[in-house]
Amino acid sequence: MRYDCIIIGAGVAGLTAGIRCAKEGLHTAIISSGMSALHFSSGSIDLLGYRDNAVVYKPFEAIDQLTGTIAQHPYTKCGKPLIIEALLFFKQECEQQGLFLFDNGNLNHFHVTTLGTLKPTYFSQRSVFNEDVYSRFKAMKKIVIINFEGYRDFHPQLAAAQLSKHSLFANCEIVAKQIEMPQLQDDGKYPHEFRSIDIARIFEKEANIEKIADLIRLAAKDADFVVMPAVMGITNFNQIHNKLQSRTRLLVYEVPTLPPSILGMRIDNALKSRFAELGGVYIAGDKVVRADITDDVVNAIYTNSHPENPMEAQCYILSTGSFFSGGLVSEFDNMYEPIFKLKLHHEPERNKWYNQNFFHRDSHAFLQYGVLTDESLRPYDSNNNIIQNLYCSGAIMAHYNPIKEGCGSGVAISTGYKAAGQIINLLKRMS
Amino acid sequence: MIKLENISFDHCIKCTVCTIYCPVARVTHLYPGPKQSGPDTERLRIKNPELLDVSLKYCSNCKRCEIACPSDVKIADIIQTAKWRYSKKELRIRDFLLSRTDLMGTFGTLFSAIVNFFTHLGMVKYFLDVIFKIPSGRTFPNYASGTFTKWFKSVRKYQDNYADKVIYFHGCYVNYNYPQLGKDVVKVVNALGKGVIITKEKCCGVPLIANGYIKKAQSHGRHNIKVLSSALPDDKTKIVSASSSCTLALKHEYPNLLELDNSPIINNITYITQFILEEFEKGNILRLKPLSYTVAYHSPCHLERMGSAAFTIELLRKIPALTVKILHSECCGISGTYGFKNEYYGISQSVGNELFRIIDEAKPDFVVTDCETCKWQIEMNTKYKVIHPISLLAEAIE
Amino acid sequence: MKTLEAEVIVIGGGATGCGVLRDCTLRGIDAILIEKNDIASGTTGRNHGLLHSGARYAVRDLESATECIKENRILKKIAWHCIEPTGGLFVTLPEDDPNYHNRLLEACRFAGIDAKEISVKKALSIEPNCNPNILSAIWVPDGTIDPFRLTSANILDSIERGAHVFTHTQVERIMLKQNQVIGVQCYDKTAGEYLEIYAPIIVNASGVWGQHICKTAGIELKMFPSKGSMVIIDYRINNVVVNRCRVPSDGDIIVPGDTVSLIGTTSRKIPYDTIDELVVDDDEIDVLLSDGEKLIPNVSRARVLRAYCGVRPLIAVSGEMDGRDISRGVVLIDHKERDNVQGLITIAGGKLMTYRLMAEMTTDLIAKKLGNSKRCLTYKIPLPGSEKRVGYTKKIKYFSGIPNSVVGSTHYRHGERVHNILSLKKRNYGLICECEMVTLGEVEYAIKNLKVNDIVDLRRRTRIGMGPCQGELCAYRAAGLFTEFGDFTPDESTKLLMDFLEERFKGVKPVLWGDGLREFEFTYWIYQGLFGLGLVEDNNT
Repeated sequence: MRYDCIIIGAGVAGLTAGIRCAKEGLHTAIISSGMSALHFSSGSIDLLGYRDNAVVYKPFEAIDQLTGTIAQHPYTKCGKPLIIEALLFFKQECEQQGLFLFDNGNLNHFHVTTLGTLKPTYFSQRSVFNEDVYSRFKAMKKIVIINFEGYRDFHPQLAAAQLSKHSLFANCEIVAKQIEMPQLQDDGKYPHEFRSIDIARIFEKEANIEKIADLIRLAAKDADFVVMPAVMGITNFNQIHNKLQSRTRLLVYEVPTLPPSILGMRIDNALKSRFAELGGVYIAGDKVVRADITDDVVNAIYTNSHPENPMEAQCYILSTGSFFSGGLVSEFDNMYEPIFKLKLHHEPERNKWYNQNFFHRDSHAFLQYGVLTDESLRPYDSNNNIIQNLYCSGAIMAHYNPIKEGCGSGVAISTGYKAAGQIINLLKRMS
Repeated sequence: MIKLENISFDHCIKCTVCTIYCPVARVTHLYPGPKQSGPDTERLRIKNPELLDVSLKYCSNCKRCEIACPSDVKIADIIQTAKWRYSKKELRIRDFLLSRTDLMGTFGTLFSAIVNFFTHLGMVKYFLDVIFKIPSGRTFPNYASGTFTKWFKSVRKYQDNYADKVIYFHGCYVNYNYPQLGKDVVKVVNALGKGVIITKEKCCGVPLIANGYIKKAQSHGRHNIKVLSSALPDDKTKIVSASSSCTLALKHEYPNLLELDNSPIINNITYITQFILEEFEKGNILRLKPLSYTVAYHSPCHLERMGSAAFTIELLRKIPALTVKILHSECCGISGTYGFKNEYYGISQSVGNELFRIIDEAKPDFVVTDCETCKWQIEMNTKYKVIHPISLLAEAIE
Repeated sequence: MKTLEAEVIVIGGGATGCGVLRDCTLRGIDAILIEKNDIASGTTGRNHGLLHSGARYAVRDLESATECIKENRILKKIAWHCIEPTGGLFVTLPEDDPNYHNRLLEACRFAGIDAKEISVKKALSIEPNCNPNILSAIWVPDGTIDPFRLTSANILDSIERGAHVFTHTQVERIMLKQNQVIGVQCYDKTAGEYLEIYAPIIVNASGVWGQHICKTAGIELKMFPSKGSMVIIDYRINNVVVNRCRVPSDGDIIVPGDTVSLIGTTSRKIPYDTIDELVVDDDEIDVLLSDGEKLIPNVSRARVLRAYCGVRPLIAVSGEMDGRDISRGVVLIDHKERDNVQGLITIAGGKLMTYRLMAEMTTDLIAKKLGNSKRCLTYKIPLPGSEKRVGYTKKIKYFSGIPNSVVGSTHYRHGERVHNILSLKKRNYGLICECEMVTLGEVEYAIKNLKVNDIVDLRRRTRIGMGPCQGELCAYRAAGLFTEFGDFTPDESTKLLMDFLEERFKGVKPVLWGDGLREFEFTYWIYQGLFGLGLVEDNNT
């Protein structure tokens, strides 16, 4: 099979790149081995949340400072103008699918977590309990955090206690409530399998919304605000949110939950639909296992299901993620990138991969391991030669720690966007 | 204790993604989902087979969990294996009959007029429901009045005119129920300048696996590997199939589930749309006339599992004037013989509802899909006719 | 300050201490147990959980071997729900001395251990995952024993019979009046308060920490700590105990323990002042895995879940000794005889297998001192959970409606007490830990009845967080339940969650590669990335 561009990996990076390529009219395929980390994400887009363990309020200023000091950081390779362009692109493409992202201009805003902590982020979905909400919130006196009886992945008491400690909420009463949804009780022979997704499906049935809204209203009648786990549906979330608010006459908002993340799945859904709409070819459930490279040029790649049938393209993007997603593989005494055997940034000794404590302030070293690339995001092979038609994006890249810096999705969007841009330019020049 | 060979459950990192995409868990809470039925409880079953949860019988083996899994866990295989390895097998005439597609096919085609007449009778359906627990709501596929292999005899002599050959694994459905699809395949392959070889194949084994007849499935598998590999004139010759489930069985189920060595044939097996596209890329392009239909394409689960749905879509897009609406990938619910059983019929129908809804929304001239059982399910539940992409292609050949 | 009185104070909540508490209670002696951490959190909970047949000692230590087989038979009666009589194999690898096989057979016969030679073919049919190149095999009545459940059952029975137990309570010093002990002063870490307990007899059953306890009474008792490390494999790679047929050494035993398998053990002498901060060394892991693979080849393909180590409590009667060479025989010291301190008894040495026997010996001495003439009954009164022996099949039928995996797992862990845990209320059998099938009902039961102070304790009672994901989803679920079922504030629950993840990480980090690293990345992503748990402290300011 022959394409203009093949993207390996369908996370935020791969899909952003795929949409950009397909939009430019390139014959683009994405090959994905299993679902992406979006399914476990907060569903907000973190740009740069922390620097040296301190919260970042002005992410673009911090990016300026970062690109001036860390030469190897993916943000440095992208540059601020491109990052801004990429974010706007991402936002617009999501909007095409009815997924509206809120941002605070030049500033980060904070969203509330399941534990009631506040996390800095750049884009949040409209229904997420965030900064925008907070500014409208100042006059408010009471927040009710609700959970649904039977749902074990959310403890409102813990969130309430943690949230009320924050100075922003100092003058506010925060109460935890539990509501019993009859839909959760009826045919639920195995209630222990209720996850966010099961409750989201109950919300997605139109007939249920009014009943649920009435239950919420009953539980939170004197509240100004209702905060609940993010389960307001995967596809028709805008209508559900509006309906809940209008029927309860309350401000109802969501917080991201333990996986599966409904908020993340909405983004996944939106990006994949957009890619398909633009004529992209999406191959799910197949794994790229090896590549055929001659003279620093990738000729073809081969997959698990089609080990002898080459898939060919003029350019390739590698966005297979970190260890979790299988982009990097660690063994007892080594690490490698499994498809192209690219040159990695990492420590060879296993005991240097981690720090002594789980919550160590310096996080863990392995999170910044990854593929080394040049300025155009092209990786090096084991002989230190640049592979000419391969570009890297997202969590497979080295020299940044997505969790410690709070920049995972920002890097994915920027590098995915940039990688696609490189290919578009290259192919234009060639034709 | 069993010898632990396939230990992909060990890679499960408990991310729960498989359960999100399980069509059965979506519609019934009788089924706790692939994560729990598969990798989670596999550790317990290894400890003690008595810890087997009967609820895993609800798995329809659509394999969407495996598509979703980011850890390469063969979840559906684990569950199918557990069904026969750890549970006591009770003999059921219904399961026996449903799984013996070739036996039933031989009988059905011999007496097709009578069989077809009876399977559509209300009384008979009632009888099947009560005695065999086969749902009376289910429409049975008709048997053809002659088999595909019988027809093929009439065209075999022409196949030698072609220097290049392709082995065609037609499967039971083409042979007994729908020889026309086989005729279309032969037409398309011949149009590509290649001759067709067919072998003395047996049922690929998918229905046997689904009903727990693993030994029988293994013996079929061994037979098929043998006849197919010995029919291969050289390494380059392709073995094509136009059935997504047969292809999956030959490629995937044989080694992973039946623990058979299919290395003599694995690199030759290709799903037909991929084979045709590759020919196109080599410059061996079919001249196609415009077909001004609007079709809705449904990608079958087992085709998705092989990452091959994209090839069918590509091929359909090559037919001039054809408008292809790609339906959001959903399981139709029938899952082979699953939807033919009373205890799963309701689930099977609820699983399909989403697909039926989006088909109605798409308002196509007809539906296109690669899988025979998807065809039955969709034709039974919507007003649309369902045709195979190869039949469409055959129609477009000038 | 709170003060209490009793006849006997037992210091140390390991198997021995808990055994002494139970033995005392059964003889009507009023006893209190104090443990500085959680029950079974020291050496007791840090071994490979082998229910010795005695064969491992037979060649070199006949006395231990004989004790083992005797206790083995008793434990199978009184504590069957903590035991799985899997049987065991001694297999000779091509590189091993083939003569050891016969020596072992003979020694077993001498010790009264029912060992029999079996063909290699038979051995491979019993354990199909064993190395197929073995030269010979011996079958022995080895099994597995769960130290947490065993100790917990002793405590549960004692409490139900009126004894008092203080966990997370540190003994500060032994109080003496002239040369007679009168009690202990201790600090309750959970409540944050001091308390004094008075009793005429104090049993020092604190294992390797006994050196320190004696010191507070002015007595010198020298321990020679020896570290033993083990690794845990994600699932049961074997269903019977597999021993290597050679002189005991590093990495020569693989024990199936509940849903996992453990490869044991190393032996290294360590300085006494390091016993509280033991770490598994990387080269120990190398040895365990490379030798483990020789016994069961799947070791190299399987995920390693954790590595952990314990300290062997060996008392030096005199001179220097190596960890493995010394007899693990029981040392019972009446300090009246040895140091002229009346009322203080030290019980040490021995092993998990002989905990009951050690408790019996100690309690006999206590009873003698107290003039109590009641006989020991622990050899025949079953522990709570082991009252009736009922197989899975019956229980599964009884609780039909609840998944077999849940009923079976709960029954496996709690025996007959499954009836106090499971009910057909849907909420009751909702799963909290999906890897080990720990239900909400089981968590509730443990928090309310089994002396659980935090999620780490809960893990020892229920196996929560001990499966492949090491607490990735269940840790948060469980933390919230402490607020619901226990008297923990939400903030305390959040703190418990942090502590638990830190504790799990200790055992995970030495084996952080492959799927283990992926799992950790995921867990870290959830708790730090998604929840911002490590930022809780910052968040508060």
